[in-house]
Amino acid sequence: MSDLLDAARLFGVYFRLGLLNELAYRTNFWVQIVETLVNLSIVLGAVAVVFARTDTLGGWRPAELVALIGVYFIVLGMLNLVVSPSLSRFIEDVRTGALDFTLTKPVDAQLLVSIAEIRAWKLVDLLAGFGVLGGALLELATRIGALQALGFGVALLAGGAIVYSFWLMLATLAFWFIRVENILMIFLSMYTAGRWPVGIYPGWLRWLLTLVVPVAFAVTVPAEALTGRMQASELAGALGLAAALLLGSRAFWKRGLRHYSGASA
Amino acid sequence: MRSVRDWASLYAAFFRISLLANLQYRASGTIWMIGLVLEPLVFLVVWSTVARSEGGSVAGLDPRDLAAYYIALLVVNHLTFSWIMHTFEYRVRFGELGFELLRPIHPIHGDICDNVAYKLVMLIVLLPAVAVLTWLFEPRFAPDPGALALLVPALVLGLAVRLLLDWTLALAAFWTTRVTAINQTYFAIVLFLSGRVAPIALLPGWLQDVAGALPFYWTVAFPAELATGRVGFAAGLRGLAVQLVWVLAALGLISFGWRRSLRRFTAVGT
Amino acid sequence: MSEAETVIQVRALSKTYSVPVREPGVRAAVRSLFRRETRPVAAVREIELDVAPGEIVGFLGPNGAGKTTTLKMLAGLLHPSAGEARVLGFVPSERRHDFLRQITLVMGQRNQLVWDIPVADSFERNRAIYRLGPALFRSRLDELVALLELEPLLRKPVRNLSLGERMKCEVAAALLHQPRVLFLDEPTIGLDVTMQRRLRAFIAEYNQRTGATVLLTSHYMADVEALCRRVVVIHHGRILFDGALQDLVQRFSAHKTIVLELGPGEFDLRGYGEVVSQEPGRAALRVPKQATAKLTGRLLAELPVNDLTIADPPIEEVIDRVFSQEAV
Repeated sequence: MSDLLDAARLFGVYFRLGLLNELAYRTNFWVQIVETLVNLSIVLGAVAVVFARTDTLGGWRPAELVALIGVYFIVLGMLNLVVSPSLSRFIEDVRTGALDFTLTKPVDAQLLVSIAEIRAWKLVDLLAGFGVLGGALLELATRIGALQALGFGVALLAGGAIVYSFWLMLATLAFWFIRVENILMIFLSMYTAGRWPVGIYPGWLRWLLTLVVPVAFAVTVPAEALTGRMQASELAGALGLAAALLLGSRAFWKRGLRHYSGASA
Repeated sequence: MRSVRDWASLYAAFFRISLLANLQYRASGTIWMIGLVLEPLVFLVVWSTVARSEGGSVAGLDPRDLAAYYIALLVVNHLTFSWIMHTFEYRVRFGELGFELLRPIHPIHGDICDNVAYKLVMLIVLLPAVAVLTWLFEPRFAPDPGALALLVPALVLGLAVRLLLDWTLALAAFWTTRVTAINQTYFAIVLFLSGRVAPIALLPGWLQDVAGALPFYWTVAFPAELATGRVGFAAGLRGLAVQLVWVLAALGLISFGWRRSLRRFTAVGT
Repeated sequence: MSEAETVIQVRALSKTYSVPVREPGVRAAVRSLFRRETRPVAAVREIELDVAPGEIVGFLGPNGAGKTTTLKMLAGLLHPSAGEARVLGFVPSERRHDFLRQITLVMGQRNQLVWDIPVADSFERNRAIYRLGPALFRSRLDELVALLELEPLLRKPVRNLSLGERMKCEVAAALLHQPRVLFLDEPTIGLDVTMQRRLRAFIAEYNQRTGATVLLTSHYMADVEALCRRVVVIHHGRILFDGALQDLVQRFSAHKTIVLELGPGEFDLRGYGEVVSQEPGRAALRVPKQATAKLTGRLLAELPVNDLTIADPPIEEVIDRVFSQEAV
């Protein structure tokens, strides 16, 4: 338990650093606001255009789709707030040798590496996501029960864990290969497919978006929990996968560290 | 005044350098392509889903028509897009542009070569992607044979308009630091009005009118519709005329903007 | 030295890397797709070392000699291939937190400070990482600020500092938790002469005040001369010499330099020894050590000598010649 508290404390420290970093450039905040507003307009605008021509998209009604978009922004916000900048920084540190500083600190290296860079203004994306989600839920208000809310929370956490573990495993490849940041960029660019419910995609693409780029678990499944579509088996699957990936990514990370420090395999 | 021969050798030299550079950066280029291919793919699936739930077609377009449109759009967008606005601020602020200004050649020529070279190199990735998409989605292409003849000029004019327009708007970097905000708003507008979010016929009526009055539809969706057969020969000729008008307008804009920006840059710096 | 008296013990420590090998040519390139051929490169070979608490030890050697590899093994960054090392009673490569809390690493020309924010905020971060209480942190910070003259720099973002100022702040950040062992990897590289001197003076003073053990690698002779009573010369992964600096010169130099101040006239000095330099009135000769006494006698007898000095050759020269010996 105390380890978790320590991790939270350190996260706070790095968050403050990230905030200070952003504040060093005064325009960053406004740039982020504009960016979030523009992205929201694009996504919601596209939804508006679609629902001018139909009542449901793959069985999803407008408010339900907006809820999905809210979840998308929440997950994207979390990804861009911590995971993406920190792991990109890690990859560079492997290349420059600055990783040695991290490894001589009395803190678990995976933790330090995962929170090293926090883009504080991405909170705006997170807030926008919650705002959009809240608005959509108001529309669907009669349908959300405590159990569903719980299912949503669990699904969101599981999705977050899955995405984080995936990114960590990709980043860990940097111990062996130099040009890994490109792979991270691939994933980020495929993420935009998560704005729509994964069920509408043809089988092969759905498979890709579930297992190769885990968009489905990150965005669609939590949204399904909120709109009463999720089955217990799906949630169980998400939790199982999250646990497996968290353990697997940590094991892989340790393997990578041993390779970096020249320990015999 | 340069002769045609001079221009040709200049372009040949620039092009060669750009080709080599782009071959070097093929990894990051390929990653950019993934995003480029994914976008029409996603919207294709979305609109096909809509069509199926609306009895098989929406505004007269069934999934196979939509497939043809979006595959054509993918190719046209690749052939006409430019990334000048993404990097211009950096070039101005960190001095590169200063060097280019010292050359007796407008920087846009280097950009044109770079642009075309990139597209040629990336065809290696694009063509297989198009082949796969064609195999998966069975697009229905039914172009008017006359209209097909207009395709190449339409593409060239579309590229010209996009390059010139993007360059003009990029000049904002000389005047303000809020370039990212301008760029993003612009890209959002272009996204809708060039037919990438939805075929123009699927947009609400008032938006269709706006799209017709602005150049974006004419640079991307129009050539695509020539290829799919939605636009016939006569309409195609009219469209080419509209494109020409926009090219001239863009030329005017860029020369006006360039002179003013240059004056500001050399007098004030950035 | 008994176990209790040493802070670092190294026994038969070795590090061998597998370096990929590829012959030129297409056939070999294709083959390398399926099978990676490697060649072992011994970076460190069976070194033995004992360091007492409070010592400042300089590792001297040309690039690729194995000094940084040795330092990294002692800091826990690299696993040894063979042999063992103990620092503060711990096995470094296990990277226990209790061990890491007592050491620090400073690498020349590499920053751990956060680039865009004031230095003081980077210090805060280290405070959190090392879990220093506010009072303790305050007092240590004040001491370091005073010693390194950091007061005007604290509010500045790191990117606005000069290289020398940055290095001072890096060192301060590395010492906030008052480590018992300092690993300094080429700390003065890239700095101007004044800053180098200041940094060396600081390290010496810090060592005096806190009794911290310092291991530093360098290929600058000046670092070692100024700071280290004990020098370990590493070349091709082996320790060539471990001891006091003066002894190094004694051991490895077979020559002395005789500097003469002569009266007017032209003299052919080649019969006395190797003429290093000669101008009207002044000359320098390089002579074998054993012959020094006799030659001095001859010179004084046969030439109009106004002044004569016998000196050791410059240490750089000694080191250069040590390093240029391929196998020792």
